Amino acid sequence: MLFWILVAALTAAVAIVLLLPLMRAASPLPSAHSHDIEVYRDQLEELERDRGAGLISEEDAELARAEIARRLLAASAADEPAGRSVPKQLSSNRMAQIFILLCLPAVGLGLYLTTGSPGVPAQPLAERLANPGEDINILIAKAENHLAFNPEDGAGWDVLAPIYMRSGRVDDAVAAYDRAIRLIGPTPARLGGYAEALIVQSGGLVTAEAQDALKKALALDPHDPRSEFYLALGLKQEGKQAAALAAFRKLADTSPADAPWLPLVTQHIAELANRTPADGGAAPADPTSDDIAAAEEMNAGDRQAMIRGMVDSLAARLKNDPANIEGWLRLVRSYVVLDQRNKAEDALREGLKEFPAKGNEGKQLLALGRELGLDAGGEQE
Amino acid sequence: MIIELGHYALVLALATAIVQSVLPILGVKRGDRSMMELAGSAAIASFLLVVFAFAVLTFAYVVSDFSVRNVWENSHSLKPLIYKISGVWGNHEGSMLLWLLILVFFSMLVALFGRNLPATLRANVLAVQAWITTAFTLFILLTSNPFARLVPAPGEGRDLNPVLQDIGLAIHPPLLYLGYVGFSVCFSFAIAALIEGRIDAAWARWVRPWTLAAWTALTAGIAMGSYWAYYELGWGGWWFWDPVENASFMPWLAGTALLHSALVMEKREALKIWTVLLAILTFSLSLLGTFLVRSGVLTSVHAFATDPTRGVFILAILVVFIGGAFSLFALRATHLKAGGLFAPISREGALVLNNLILTTATATVLTGTLYPLLLEALTGDKISVGAPFFNMTFGLLMLPLLFVVPFGPLLAWKRGDLSGAAQRLFIAAAIGVMAAAVVAYAKSGGPLLAPLGIGLGAYLVLGAVTDLVLRSGLGKVAGRVALGRLLGLPRSVFGTALAHAGLGITLIGIVVATAYGTETVVEMKPGMLADAGGYTLRFDGMREARGPNYSEDTGHFTVSRAGVQVSEIWSSKRLYSARRMPTTEAGIRTFGLSQLYVSLGDEMSGGGIVVRIWWKPLILCIWGGALIMMAGGLVSLSDRRLRVGAPSRARKAPQLAAGAAE
Repeated sequence: MLFWILVAALTAAVAIVLLLPLMRAASPLPSAHSHDIEVYRDQLEELERDRGAGLISEEDAELARAEIARRLLAASAADEPAGRSVPKQLSSNRMAQIFILLCLPAVGLGLYLTTGSPGVPAQPLAERLANPGEDINILIAKAENHLAFNPEDGAGWDVLAPIYMRSGRVDDAVAAYDRAIRLIGPTPARLGGYAEALIVQSGGLVTAEAQDALKKALALDPHDPRSEFYLALGLKQEGKQAAALAAFRKLADTSPADAPWLPLVTQHIAELANRTPADGGAAPADPTSDDIAAAEEMNAGDRQAMIRGMVDSLAARLKNDPANIEGWLRLVRSYVVLDQRNKAEDALREGLKEFPAKGNEGKQLLALGRELGLDAGGEQE
Repeated sequence: MIIELGHYALVLALATAIVQSVLPILGVKRGDRSMMELAGSAAIASFLLVVFAFAVLTFAYVVSDFSVRNVWENSHSLKPLIYKISGVWGNHEGSMLLWLLILVFFSMLVALFGRNLPATLRANVLAVQAWITTAFTLFILLTSNPFARLVPAPGEGRDLNPVLQDIGLAIHPPLLYLGYVGFSVCFSFAIAALIEGRIDAAWARWVRPWTLAAWTALTAGIAMGSYWAYYELGWGGWWFWDPVENASFMPWLAGTALLHSALVMEKREALKIWTVLLAILTFSLSLLGTFLVRSGVLTSVHAFATDPTRGVFILAILVVFIGGAFSLFALRATHLKAGGLFAPISREGALVLNNLILTTATATVLTGTLYPLLLEALTGDKISVGAPFFNMTFGLLMLPLLFVVPFGPLLAWKRGDLSGAAQRLFIAAAIGVMAAAVVAYAKSGGPLLAPLGIGLGAYLVLGAVTDLVLRSGLGKVAGRVALGRLLGLPRSVFGTALAHAGLGITLIGIVVATAYGTETVVEMKPGMLADAGGYTLRFDGMREARGPNYSEDTGHFTVSRAGVQVSEIWSSKRLYSARRMPTTEAGIRTFGLSQLYVSLGDEMSGGGIVVRIWWKPLILCIWGGALIMMAGGLVSLSDRRLRVGAPSRARKAPQLAAGAAE
């Protein structure tokens, strides 16, 4: 509120400053040549001074005087008729006043409301550091400042690494995990986090480096589900389908029934078990590493928007070409990730129309729907 | 809130500028004095609004408010305070705001000091200034808004380009912009004269001080930029004929021509139309300079902007202002009365020759700068027009100009006596030739033209002194009378002498540093020795250090002459943490007017490091001469005779005015 009062006050002040000259009684203009005449008189005076000081010779001074006098006479002659003419009667300058009164608020508010961000407060860094509250960027900055002066504080790096990961700074996360592991030793959580960061960094690929870390984590804790999962994923990516299937099944068997990663594991098992050539069609391509690299550059809101954009385009593609079971499975899962359960259920039903529940693919869809707790519609059951 | 208030102030400045663009001109048409006077109030109001906006942005930098995108992109909380402040204009958005600030500053000066100008001229000039203000404020708000916000705010900034983290950034752009934008006033006066269809007697007297002020600032700005590039980039060079440098050099050349033609116009009312044209041309080149640097057409340290919409917007500004001004000139120039006549051999004639050569030189530089851009745009071929082209063409053009410079002040107005002037310059010329001969004898084997250049420089300096000696009558009248006369000379005479002598000194610096400097590239290990310029450098080793936002490796060198230690040099390589960008901090040690310049290169596998050592004899003359030229401009600017008598004031107190004048 105070802001808008100040905006109004500023606008009013400028309007007054601009209107004041218009309020004064108009005075007639001096004739066009009166200035010239003064200037020539000044020049004559200056010439006299120069001559008096001996700066120019008498002869030159005489020549110059003659020239200035000629100009002076010409200006005076030109002035005569102008001086006698009657000053023009001036009409009121009300239009000018109205123009000012309209232009300032119209341009001022019109442009400001399109380019400005009213309501966003100033945020000096010192204030934010004093009261960080929920400001994750400041928490990171504070930790970074601390670590810049205490780079050997492994616990600090250990705290910072997952925060980096969450805010999309994958390279920093890799470096932070690496330091934490070197400084205060490996744990399954640290090694798993490091591997995960490496995997995201390489665009979803479980690299040899990541596999190393995962194996080390499993050596410390043979039942670490994250390490098992990524190792299985690595096998799948390498095309070792049987081994991958076995690894995923082992993970599914040893996981508690309500484990949050179970749907994903089951999904992979289903994919590997049902991988039949040709007729199912390939899933739409994973986001390329370029996309992921772009995602790292964005802040959280932008990334969410990018995911949404990719999901929307997937939905559009499926509308044109519905015979793509991988696509439907992905779409349903994506909607759940984006927390749009209604859309997920809609997508599930759309998919079941294309792949009836009796078929292999339909069962896959239904299984996914059950795992995610989605309502597939009464007529299917 | 304060940030948004600054943003709103900038928008309100645009609204004010629109009012100032329209109403005063209508006032002149209607003969309505109150509407004309509105221009002054509006100019002051815009200035205050832009100052507020600029202060708010500076505040955001000082307190590291990273919710402002511009601050986040270009600042860092650990940066020293001076670089936080200079960082305000160390980026595209901020530098455009600085440009605008200086523009409205000049408009305000015209409003404040122009009270004794004819009312119609003042109103028109301020309206034209407001057109420029409107265009640039719109440009800033629509394409380069420094007040854009970031929600949520990042916790740390991305830091300023390390090359720009230098005291040079605090000084160079403001000075350069004072020069660029100062010429806007001359431009506005020219356009106002064209609108009115007449040039009154006060016109030239008004244009000259503005030209002088802008020229002085631009001279200082260019010299400062050159010295900055010299010590910061670590290449040992001081002028690269880089398009960005040319962009500032072209307005300087045209401005120098304008300065001289305004002189003729003020004294003799001749060359009126030509002066108007030059005023338009000079500011057009300033705009072009801004365009070249700001649009991202050139990839260089200076081109922060890479957004094509900005380029298109600036191009539109260029087309409207330059195209519009030249069209107006074509339409209206015939209405202007041509001025007085003069013989070819006269001071006027000398100044016309000066103008011819300077404008040709400007055209040469313009061609060399734009041709590669045009060629690339049309055919896609990338060529680079480098120093050899400019040295050949520009140098060849300058040679005759430098030779006739001392003649100008010695020739009389209207009808001059060439052989008389030549006789009077005989001593200066003779000493110049002797100097050339001595250098040629002492330094046999160097470039052939070098002694000639040194002789020419000496002749320029002595020619300037000759003018002062002749005017004071030294040698003809008693010493005390001569001294009295010398002190009584108008300050503009000293200004001329200083500027011309400064030119000679710069020339000497350029020639000596280029022809007799040495460059040594060696791989050094601790304890090794290298020779340069008669000094011996011993490399003592490297040391690591940490600054507030960088880490550095510094090499230490001991300098000795004939076995005696005389000095030491620290030269370092820095790595700025936020941008992971390395810079070199050259080690420079000054001996008299010469310098030893040491720059570190890559480290070699065997523990050695590549070291470049330059010996730069008399290099300080280059910038010293520019400083002397600048001093000449200031002295000339302080000449009391530049003021125009106001009708009202003069009528009230003629005695007072006359008394104060003497």
